[in-house]
Amino acid sequence: MPVPIIADPPPFAGGKPQGQPAQQAMTRAERRELQEKQRAAKAALKGQPPQPKESSQGKQSQGTVTTAGQAKAKTPSTPSKKAFAGDIQGSKASTSKDLSLGLVGEDMPPKQLSHGLRIFSHFGQPKPVGHTVKGDIHPAIIRLGLLYSDFKICGANARCIAMLTAFKQVIQDYTTPSHSTISRHLMTHLSPQITHLVSARPMSVTMGNAIRELKLEISAIDIDVIEQDAKESLCLKIDNYIRDRIIIADEVIQELAGKKIKDGDVILTYAKSSVVEKVLLEAQEEGKKFSVIVIDSKPLLEGKILLRSLTSGPNPIPCTYALLPALPSLLTQVTMVLVGAHALFSNGAVYSRAGTAMIAMMAKTNSVPVVVCCETYKFSDGVMVDGFTRNELVPLSVTQKNSRSHDIVPALNLDNLNPLYDLTPPTYITAVVTEVGLIPPSSISSIPLALGKASL
Amino acid sequence: MVSEPRSAAANRSVEVLASKLRRRQIVGSRATALETLLVLRQVIAKARFSNLEQLVAIIRDVGRRLVDAQPKEHSVGNTVRKVLHHIREEFHAATRGVEVPKPASFSISKFVLQGQPRKQVAVQKSEAKGTLRENDPDDPDSFARGLKPVLMEAIQDVLDELETVYDNVSKNAKDHIHSDNLGYSHDYASEIILTLGMSKTVEQFLKAAAHVRNYSVIVAETAPSYNGREMAKSLSSSGISTFLVPDSSIFALMSRVNKVILGAHVILANGGMFAVSGSLMAATAARAHSTPVVVCAGQFKLTPLWNLYHEYGALDFGNPSDVLGFENGDLVDKVDVVNPYYDYVQPELIDAYITNELLKETYDDEDNEL
Repeated sequence: MPVPIIADPPPFAGGKPQGQPAQQAMTRAERRELQEKQRAAKAALKGQPPQPKESSQGKQSQGTVTTAGQAKAKTPSTPSKKAFAGDIQGSKASTSKDLSLGLVGEDMPPKQLSHGLRIFSHFGQPKPVGHTVKGDIHPAIIRLGLLYSDFKICGANARCIAMLTAFKQVIQDYTTPSHSTISRHLMTHLSPQITHLVSARPMSVTMGNAIRELKLEISAIDIDVIEQDAKESLCLKIDNYIRDRIIIADEVIQELAGKKIKDGDVILTYAKSSVVEKVLLEAQEEGKKFSVIVIDSKPLLEGKILLRSLTSGPNPIPCTYALLPALPSLLTQVTMVLVGAHALFSNGAVYSRAGTAMIAMMAKTNSVPVVVCCETYKFSDGVMVDGFTRNELVPLSVTQKNSRSHDIVPALNLDNLNPLYDLTPPTYITAVVTEVGLIPPSSISSIPLALGKASL
Repeated sequence: MVSEPRSAAANRSVEVLASKLRRRQIVGSRATALETLLVLRQVIAKARFSNLEQLVAIIRDVGRRLVDAQPKEHSVGNTVRKVLHHIREEFHAATRGVEVPKPASFSISKFVLQGQPRKQVAVQKSEAKGTLRENDPDDPDSFARGLKPVLMEAIQDVLDELETVYDNVSKNAKDHIHSDNLGYSHDYASEIILTLGMSKTVEQFLKAAAHVRNYSVIVAETAPSYNGREMAKSLSSSGISTFLVPDSSIFALMSRVNKVILGAHVILANGGMFAVSGSLMAATAARAHSTPVVVCAGQFKLTPLWNLYHEYGALDFGNPSDVLGFENGDLVDKVDVVNPYYDYVQPELIDAYITNELLKETYDDEDNEL
């Protein structure tokens, strides 16, 4: 096993430079100091209405950390704590800078946590991004952060490829300081970039896995290699990673999943997965006669994009489109459910777009096979048993763009929450299509070992 | 024989309601029940009959026309059945006096197996009316003259019941929702209820419970109507801590939900129900998490009908432009868009029905087929 330093939620894992405990301790100390400072400031300004809110948020974030911590192995620093520290900073920044920076969706008053919201407080909170560019952040990363936070780049594969591409630029523009070597120093240069991306949106499992791989490569650079050669070779490694683990993997998955589509099939899919899209288009290319039911739902309504690409070609696939509540009425005619994934946990649970679990559940009760397309680089060492333990909330500014009728605005006692993911229990899944073959969810944990371990 | 409603005005009001039902200008079980009742009242007021069979035939004819106009609105047929039941009750009371009341214990299964107990109340008021003769050769209208006033009273009772149905369903709300009032920690301990769409009955039920209990409600938006927004606004305005979520998140949130409370469109004799689409998924997700599912519905939604193939019978389609509007013009041409109205929820997915006065009001077996 390639000792995962942070066992449970790998998506956040890359957020901290694992190789630099000293640096990490320092940033934690800094953060604690900052929190103390804020708390002191709040104590001083007790009279003002927004202040007690923030302090309660701070307190409650501590509470969440302890409860979350129980579930985890001894993590050096819990990600949620980090996220919350960022959140507090963010909300503080937004109160002060709201007027000067008219960012979309930030025109509402700072988010006040009603007490009921506390049960959701551990979800990744939508954060104002672009307000806090601290330190030496590469312009490509700042740009990417904005694209992430606006959901312009969305989806596990797209985000991972975009991040790695941006890292290539960062690496090319990097010069090693005179007193250090690239293998020691580059990671300390990259970690604030990663932190910035995470502040835009919580990290995906794919990004975490790719960053871990990148770190491994960086630490393996020979100190005698000329800097430019080392950078070239790193960029090549990144290109290879994208090619081998994503592009080629998708091609293999296309072929394997395509074999499962027969003439006359009715394939049901949910939202939009780039792999599923390729599988369907490829099968159509091969001349198979099948139809597709695209089920869609808020918050993102990504199914429309899939629908467009499936029907735009010279010979469009016959498609039916419906929203999630319509599913039971349509399921009787479906021969296979084909969905993508954000991540796959070692217990076989699929972490994917919210709604996937219900699709799989209903398919299971109707005895329709559920096939998940997932590259092996999305595998995670952790175990997850409940979609509530970790999730991400889509900011209102993004959901509003997607809906015709106006979403209601949060008011007293009323909050609008848009969880982005849910967890499909392995029992609902018939098979997972990976580039190493079709496997039942119960065998997921054996894949990293079968791959010779080093690659996860 | 005088079997047709003579009055053109009454006839017209039946036609108007039938076409409104057909065009879905009136939807929802309570609205249709109310309208049906008003039309029946008008029909009875105008009808000419000289014996019970004639009156029943008139009402049944009206009922059949309304039911045929929109077979999915079961409360129309239920209302007609109930009125017929009242007519017989009043007739028996007026001609033969009070019947022997049957034992009062009652359940849905007995409702299916044995029919229903005779009503024992509302009889007194007609006792004073004295003799009532069918087919009086001297004065054919005397029967109608004698019966009509008590029928009007009976219909008023049914109207009152529809008016008060929410109160009666909500009466026991606090027994079904709990909260922990340990002061500081109550935020974490209080119950979390999940509901979906906009059901007046559920709304009133939850508001009634909110007077005495402290709890949170998660409302699923329920695409494509997004009626959940209305529900969420209403609940939050009466001080209930409310979260509006998209339908997609129901499964993810279910592990924190203590109870699922749904509304019904119609409750069938086998214990299953038709409800707004999305209900089946919520109920199935609840079952997957062993979360209880409670359905709140007025008695007028209970119908004596059922069959084995409700999954297919549930299909009833709404306007596809709510799902994919013309702003996606290029897509609209190329794809099929479906927008089913109702789900059939199997009885095994439902833990309990909360309704009003099941004991008192029911129908007669012979009216099951109108």
